[in-house]
Amino acid sequence: MRQTILQGLEQAYTNLVRMITDFLPRFMVMLIIIVIGLLVAFLFKYILRAILRLTKLDRVSEEAGASRILRLAHLPSMSVLLSRTIFWVTWFGFILIGLSVLGVAGLQEQISRLFQFLPEVFVGILILFLGLMTANFLSRTALLAAVNAGYPSPRILSWSIRFVIWILAISMTLEELGVARQTVISAFSIIFGALMLGLAIAFGLGGQDLARRSLEKYLGDSKKEKDKEPQPL
Amino acid sequence: MTDNGRRHDQVQSFRKLREESEISSALAEDTFLDDDLLRQLMAVGEVDLLVGIVSHGNASTTTQAVLAIERSFQQRFTRQRAVIVDAYGADKDQSSAASGPSNVPEQNVRLADSLSLRTIQRVTADFAVPPSPGLALRTILAAADLLRARACAVVSPGTTNLTPDWIAKLLKPAYQDKFDFVAPLYTRHKFQGLLARNLFYPMSRAIFGGGIRELYSDEWGFSGRLATDCLNQDVWHEEHIGSRPEAWMAISAMSSDFRCCQVFLGEKSQSATGSGPDIVEVFRQTVGSLFWCMESRQSEWLDREKSEAVQTFGPEHELTSGPSELDRHRIFEMFRSGVTELEPILGSILDSETHAEIKGLVSLEEDNFRFPSELWVKTLYDFAASYHHAVLNRDHLVQALAPLYRGVTFSYLAEHSDSSPDEIEAVNEALCAEFQRQRPYLRDKWKVKVEVKS
Repeated sequence: MRQTILQGLEQAYTNLVRMITDFLPRFMVMLIIIVIGLLVAFLFKYILRAILRLTKLDRVSEEAGASRILRLAHLPSMSVLLSRTIFWVTWFGFILIGLSVLGVAGLQEQISRLFQFLPEVFVGILILFLGLMTANFLSRTALLAAVNAGYPSPRILSWSIRFVIWILAISMTLEELGVARQTVISAFSIIFGALMLGLAIAFGLGGQDLARRSLEKYLGDSKKEKDKEPQPL
Repeated sequence: MTDNGRRHDQVQSFRKLREESEISSALAEDTFLDDDLLRQLMAVGEVDLLVGIVSHGNASTTTQAVLAIERSFQQRFTRQRAVIVDAYGADKDQSSAASGPSNVPEQNVRLADSLSLRTIQRVTADFAVPPSPGLALRTILAAADLLRARACAVVSPGTTNLTPDWIAKLLKPAYQDKFDFVAPLYTRHKFQGLLARNLFYPMSRAIFGGGIRELYSDEWGFSGRLATDCLNQDVWHEEHIGSRPEAWMAISAMSSDFRCCQVFLGEKSQSATGSGPDIVEVFRQTVGSLFWCMESRQSEWLDREKSEAVQTFGPEHELTSGPSELDRHRIFEMFRSGVTELEPILGSILDSETHAEIKGLVSLEEDNFRFPSELWVKTLYDFAASYHHAVLNRDHLVQALAPLYRGVTFSYLAEHSDSSPDEIEAVNEALCAEFQRQRPYLRDKWKVKVEVKS
């Protein structure tokens, strides 16, 4: 019996040693891949940051109103954000490759699924970002036009435009990610339709005078309106 | 004549023909002008005087303007070779009967009182659609360059009281006195042209050094030298040049040490067709253009103090007063609502101190409201620096200035309701001095390195 126990222990020890000798090199490979990944990610980050500084992306982003959105979300400037993103994406990719080297059952399948999902995540982020930028730009255009034309409540107009574009962008992002596709489309249709119907009813019933004045302003004698101010040149 | 002599003549004429053909093909390759216009210009040859006119298919006003130009040539420039260049593009919505370059017969109309010894040529640059002011000016400059004109002028058929005397006044300083840019001066109502008086004149004088009062005008004169210089600048694709090129030309002359002068023309009346552009459009075209000129010519003004008086022929200013139907209350309300509604936008453009002062003005009652000139100058310099640093979309930035201009306008109307022309002129001079005094502030703001906040 003693002999059997000793044999079992020896077998277990041999298995453990075999497992360790089998696992350790793979673990070392994983660590090497992760460290190389870290270096490559740093390299990409600095190269990208240099290129973005040369192309003055921050200025373009400031001009387009994207930087303001980033500031509102407590995010860094566009060039810093992009270079940090490239760093983490690169390193994360290397970490996943390193983990797949370990050969842990089930993990590889999850990793490959994650890799398949990544492009959709990126496209989703891009859609959301472009949507927020467009909303910001168009709402500011509407605000300036309404203020300079002397329309009442210009901020409401500006916020309505921003809100509608936000809803559109968020819906498109969720649809791209495949999150409750049918629900998102239905919800968007209902919200958008309700908003438009509400505005139409409000404008038609509650704002008859405003509608008349606006139409008169657009279609009537605009010269009289302009004559109320001194000729600038 | 001997055989050798005949052969020599044939060789010479062949060489001449070949040279002419080479010049034509070189011209056709180098210039943007179309073949028909080139043919017309080559038929004209060299000229002393050139007057360009931009007609938009309105035959009656164009005819009137062309007649005024021809009379001016026939009575005032009898010995000079002269040409009229009509940059013509018909409006699609105008009937064909009413449109056409002009109804004046193509070849000379010799008036009864004409003293001219020369043939007045007329060239039409025919565009399929009305050309933009920038394209029309470029065509006129290219024609002036090709014809080696010594003095040129641009006039607008929209000015209904264009006289031969005006044409002569615009051409003579460039032709006789070797001036390179001739700006007009008009009789103004004291409450008209406030953007020119409170912004363009004092600001351009402080920055570019010249004291041209009418940066944006429909008529002006220039030398062939300036025409060539402007034509060769790589700016014609710019949006600001396309819409309002006149200020850019004046600023080019002022900042590049060309000799500038002003001539007093008198009262100007314009055709009543159309209601004219609204104030936002005017801001986008003119203020945007001035800021763009500051940006593109920063090396010429940033570290250079230049303040040369511009010679003026005739009175330097003539203001009239009379009843005006201005809605002051509306102007004030638009200022007030503009500053309140645009607070976040103004906050990103203006210095925090300037912004706080402007917000303080909003709380004032109409009767006590005054927009201090120091604050106005600081505001404009903040806007110019923010335009340079592109802290916002530049078109939006320029539009955000309109409510503040309304505040200045209201203040001006209230302050000068009973002021005499001399008093107004004294205040304007003080404003110019304030622009000059705060110039270092602009320079500092311009040069500061803007780090995008993280």
